[in-house]
Amino acid sequence: MISVLVTGASTPVGERLVRSLVADTRVRHVVAVGEEPEGQALPFSHGTRLTYVNVDLTRPRRVHELLFGLARELEVEGVVHLAQHRDAYGRGRGVHRANVEALRSILDLADRHPTIRRVVLKSYGEVYRVSIDLPVLVTEDHPLNLAPGAPQYVRDRVEADLTACARMGLIDCEIVVLRCAEALGPGTGSQLYDYLSTRLCLRPAGFDPMINVATPGDLVVAMERATHGSGEGVFNIPGFDTLPLSETIRKWGTRSAPVPGLLLEPMYNVRHAVTGSRFSYGLNRHRMHTGLVLDGTRAREVLSYTPANPVNWPVDGPVRIGVDT
Amino acid sequence: MPFRPPIAKALSALFGGSEVRDRADRLQYPDAGHGFDQFGMHPDFVALGDTIGKGLYDNYFRVKSYGYENIPTDGAAVIACNHSGTIPVDGMMLWVDILRHTNPPRAARPIADYFVSTLPIVSTLFARCGVVGGSKGNARALLDAGQLLMIFPEGTPGIGKPFSERYMLQDWRKGHCELAIRHKAPVVPVGIVGAEEQMPQLARIPMPRGSALPYIPVPATLVPLPVRYHIHYGQPLRFDLEYSSEEADDPAIVTEAAARVKAAVQALLDRGLEMREGIFK
Repeated sequence: MISVLVTGASTPVGERLVRSLVADTRVRHVVAVGEEPEGQALPFSHGTRLTYVNVDLTRPRRVHELLFGLARELEVEGVVHLAQHRDAYGRGRGVHRANVEALRSILDLADRHPTIRRVVLKSYGEVYRVSIDLPVLVTEDHPLNLAPGAPQYVRDRVEADLTACARMGLIDCEIVVLRCAEALGPGTGSQLYDYLSTRLCLRPAGFDPMINVATPGDLVVAMERATHGSGEGVFNIPGFDTLPLSETIRKWGTRSAPVPGLLLEPMYNVRHAVTGSRFSYGLNRHRMHTGLVLDGTRAREVLSYTPANPVNWPVDGPVRIGVDT
Repeated sequence: MPFRPPIAKALSALFGGSEVRDRADRLQYPDAGHGFDQFGMHPDFVALGDTIGKGLYDNYFRVKSYGYENIPTDGAAVIACNHSGTIPVDGMMLWVDILRHTNPPRAARPIADYFVSTLPIVSTLFARCGVVGGSKGNARALLDAGQLLMIFPEGTPGIGKPFSERYMLQDWRKGHCELAIRHKAPVVPVGIVGAEEQMPQLARIPMPRGSALPYIPVPATLVPLPVRYHIHYGQPLRFDLEYSSEEADDPAIVTEAAARVKAAVQALLDRGLEMREGIFK
């Protein structure tokens, strides 16, 4: 029996994870940390095995008080860190503190914490570099996107990922980094979801890259396996559905129009300015031309994770016949 | 793609006939769940590629195939072939030939130069038919999945070789042998006779670095000449039996293996040229 602390607990994926951990008989207690005030978060009934706390993770003092206060009291052994700024247009030091510095604080404190033995970071497939000279099927040793011109959204995610990787084996705590495929759903921070949530998707004319999408349910399974597992490392967490962009749009029930690639960025910038759409073409330019599919072999072999929950596509419904990715 | 798999299916049924459709229906490939494999190949587009290739294969280039029983019917393998012809029709004819002469049908996975991925429409159509970008990771994943790789170790310089150097193999890359040894895959040497005369080049205009195309060829003819293709498959070279996977890291072994493949392809070309009665016959 272990106690688990989950940050980002009020996000859709975090909420599902908390719900699942509370139902897990191997878990003694769950500490859910979120941005929302108590009472507004986690809209489901729970017993005494769950404690929700509202903590500003960008403030190291608050993180310290959390880990060496409540978490020590409850003998928390596992930390699942999901809290990340989800807006692709988020900029500035505050966003960086949320994306990177909060993790750094957690890792620093976990090193000398009397009970924490394992930290699981939910990272992102977006940390990988996409290029025509690189494989479509991406393994964990694939180059990361360290382009100096990359948006902060990407830079922060890469920095957080590398911050966790750099501590592996160096601190008195096991670290697991899960590079997850996008979970299609509102509030997940999925750029693809934002892209699809318009009446008309503009796509690059002549290109139709392969993409892989996950469901929150599959990501929760992967995080649970990582929390209960042993050892450390980096794992790709692919989703069940692998399909071309055009099929994704069609199955989502959205119309699309091909547009020359050069015009897409200005058009999406205008759309962002006018409608407030959160999709950033600049962030996804390479992915809209070149495929990127996460190879989940390592996660399957070490964590026994295989995606099993297909997206319930609005047009065709879920696909049940696929093989694991 | 401008159109979806059902349209590709309808087009291949309409113009390719039952034989093409039957091959597509029996095609073995790792479906990733929506009918596409992880690299984007789809059997209906393979059928469409088969249909497009059919006219060229049967009527224009009138392909003759020799030794196709050497193509492995299952498991990972590397097809290593000479490359030529200004435009890479030889790749298409070989792809169709393999599709027709394997049972159950196998769609070979041609490894293309990076610039192919930058070409609108072409890159997508190629991907739907099984073409993948030439990165080691892609090749590794396909061999792990037991696929049949189609590699032209001469690369783009092979396509652009001058007419005076026809049937003389250019600088022969070694990556295919490293992959074959590491993944315990046999290498099937293939010599294509005919393609090297299909479109003699007068000149080529080099393109600036970073351009989608490495150069613009200036051919002597506007379209390929209706030469006859002769595709010769040699005995598989079983590096998988000779070497351990670890020996793929030994540069001397890989160099020697690549030289053996090159010699085997050259021998097939020499024999094919001897057998041939004329460029158009």
